[in-house]
Amino acid sequence: MQRYSGFGLVKHALSHHENWERQWRNPTPKKQYDVIIVGGGGHGLATAYYLAKEFGVKNVAVIEKGWLGGGNTARNTTIVRSNYLWDEAAALYEHAMKLWEGLSQDLNYNVMFSQRGVLNLGHTLQDMRDIQRRVNANRLNGIDGEVLDAKGVQELVPIMDCSKNARYPVMGASWQPRAGVARHDAVAWGYARGADAHGVDILQQTEVTGFKIRDGQIYGVHTNRGDIEAKTVGCVAAGNSSVLAKMGGFNLPLESHPLQALVSEPIKPILDTVVMSNHVHGYISQSDKGDLVIGAGIDGYNGYGQRGSYPTVEHTLQAIVEMFPIFSRVRMNRQWGGIVDTCPDACPIISKTPVKGLYFNCGWGTGGFKATPGSGHVFAASLAKGEMHPIAEPFSMFRFHSGALIDEHGAAGVAH
Amino acid sequence: MSNAATFDTRTDTAIPVESPLAYSYRHSGAPRAGSSSRLQLRERAMLGHLILRGGAIVLDEAVRDVLGISLPGQPQALVQDASGERSIQWLSPDEWLVIVPGGEEFPLETQLRERLGDAHFAISDVSGGQTLLELSGEAARELLMKTVVYDVHPSNFPVGKGVTTVFAKATTILRRPSEERWELVVRRSFADYCYRWLLDAAAEYDVNVQP
Amino acid sequence: MFYIYCPYCGEHREEEEFHPKGQAHIERPKEPEACSDEEWGDYLFFRDNPRGVHHEMWVHAVGCRKFFNVTRHTVSYEILETYKMGEQPSITADSQGPSREAAAVSQKEGVRA
Ligand SMILES: Cc1cc2nc3c(=O)[nH]c(=O)nc-3n(C[C@H](O)[C@H](O)[C@H](O)COP(=O)(O)OP(=O)(O)OC[C@H]3O[C@@H](n4cnc5c(N)ncnc54)[C@H](O)[C@@H]3O)c2cc1C
Ligand SMILES: [Zn+2]
Repeated sequence: MQRYSGFGLVKHALSHHENWERQWRNPTPKKQYDVIIVGGGGHGLATAYYLAKEFGVKNVAVIEKGWLGGGNTARNTTIVRSNYLWDEAAALYEHAMKLWEGLSQDLNYNVMFSQRGVLNLGHTLQDMRDIQRRVNANRLNGIDGEVLDAKGVQELVPIMDCSKNARYPVMGASWQPRAGVARHDAVAWGYARGADAHGVDILQQTEVTGFKIRDGQIYGVHTNRGDIEAKTVGCVAAGNSSVLAKMGGFNLPLESHPLQALVSEPIKPILDTVVMSNHVHGYISQSDKGDLVIGAGIDGYNGYGQRGSYPTVEHTLQAIVEMFPIFSRVRMNRQWGGIVDTCPDACPIISKTPVKGLYFNCGWGTGGFKATPGSGHVFAASLAKGEMHPIAEPFSMFRFHSGALIDEHGAAGVAH
Repeated sequence: MSNAATFDTRTDTAIPVESPLAYSYRHSGAPRAGSSSRLQLRERAMLGHLILRGGAIVLDEAVRDVLGISLPGQPQALVQDASGERSIQWLSPDEWLVIVPGGEEFPLETQLRERLGDAHFAISDVSGGQTLLELSGEAARELLMKTVVYDVHPSNFPVGKGVTTVFAKATTILRRPSEERWELVVRRSFADYCYRWLLDAAAEYDVNVQP
Repeated sequence: MFYIYCPYCGEHREEEEFHPKGQAHIERPKEPEACSDEEWGDYLFFRDNPRGVHHEMWVHAVGCRKFFNVTRHTVSYEILETYKMGEQPSITADSQGPSREAAAVSQKEGVRA
């Protein structure tokens, strides 16, 4: 792998940047691998990367039906934080946060992780009680967090309407300074390049159409480019997970919904943090390019169409203008949707399945980008050892039969 | 007669009553316009509003006996008596809105209950919970076009129709009792918001308000 | 944007007047006490999530406030029929080949979502 550096940039400038190596190969599928990862989004690629780099499993294929990161990875609004309420979830997201903090160096790829802090606003007394409870729980788990009052919020974000005249006046917020945003496609590309360098085959334009299962044990997949064998298969297919589970002969407690996002025309730097409100129901940040990145909630019906409907967009923008009257004349440039795999307790599934050797990592719904490194890491450990990593253990799909749910609807609130 | 407890909400006329819009008139005013006005907005305050629920056939007989109008069986239908003072509107397959002159609602409820006896039905007096606004003038339809999601073109919205729909995000009933008039039935909790929306949206038509 | 035919109002109405309410035709177990953990968990949490023809419940929340059923294609979003509570669908995944409209959408979007 060609390493990136300032010096390299200068060197390549001399040859008019014509000699850069491709970031990853485009190999022909082998007949057999030790591990197959289905889904070339951030989570799948991270899984392959850690498998090869940390767990010594290098004979790995990532099978992606479209292009790398073309799913939710490159459609999300890139909020990264770890201030979840319950110990299990906090451990998982904080594991990811720690990896984020060294990720650009580890990958030798700038993922533009920017710890500009995230505010979760409170607009009612109950919001504030919940915020206090969550921040205290975070601190007990060693996760940074502060409770701010309205004045504190106004100081951080002078352009927000924190007056008493707002329809839902801001009473305060939780504030996680280490939280922030990252560049989504860079995350997919950085992991792809790293995995490729360790020998992982990344197979794009290859769709898994079925599983090869004998006596309850998986031994390969059918694809549009022929059969490929492996005794361990990990599915990381976000919105399409239910479809894959069905091919494996079982059900997942997931529903796939459209989730939309929007960006505005680029404007000068005006918002240097991330603001989220569960109550008014919208969230916003500003990218380095200058566009405002905006999102809110899912469309309530199931959909695999990667687009949502107009009332949701309208609702989202109303919330933003409610909080930021100053943005009322900013024009929106683009709007799109992803397919999010929502889970009843707003927590992911990282799990063995009824089929031996077949594992699923899904159910991240509206908020899995922030977990990308942690999810990939614990999933890789589980696939390598055949036993779930302790952080992944509580996220078994069988919790929906045992009742050991991990209810993160509060911390997941607005769909970010 | 059923053994439901009933209650006349207008027992003591000495207690001053206010329409749901009283606050709005005080705070937002009631603009008066000259002859150039293209839109009249008039509140028909303090009417009697009853919700009838039950099977259409049973209710129809009772309503015809007591009120002299037959219950509209078709969706979205609105019927009135000859004077236009009393009306019944289809809201749902088992639900109708009856509007009568203020003060008539309790006697009407009592008579209906007597007439319906042990039948399976419900009557709720919702007079205090909503108010009726009348829109007329050449710009009335234009105002509605920018306010409701429902298609108000005459080919889709003839006289004698009424729907429950979204009015600038709020729920309202919209009905068309005659060629030149539209009626809105707005909830008390939305009334101030709807009224201020109307003033704003109708400013360009030089709206004339009659509280 | 949906334009939904409410079988009770007998008209097409704007999406804003409705709320989706999840999968249709789910029956609560007659004897919850007699259910195994699996059966009860399946009833509470496991839903069909097909990529294709789906039967779901909607409520005409702002209109007549009745619940009803919709058969809809989850890729093209095409509404194939709406029918009242207690009725059965006349169009199902088995009765329908892959919808032409759905195929067109997949093609247009390049990557199959
Ligand atoms: C609009 C929007 C905003 C969001 N905002 C945030 C946010 O601010 N913060 C946050 O943390 N999260 C956010 N999320 C959620 C986040 O994007 C996802 O949880 C996360 O990116 C999931 O990553 P993934 O790699 O699992 O899935 P994806 O990136 O969707 O990857 C799955 C891949 O599997 C492939 N695939 C599917 N089926 C097959 C098959 N049969 N064969 C081969 N390949 C297949 C797909 O093509 C896809 O590329 C948002 C999501 C959306 C849609
Ligand atoms: Zn209806």
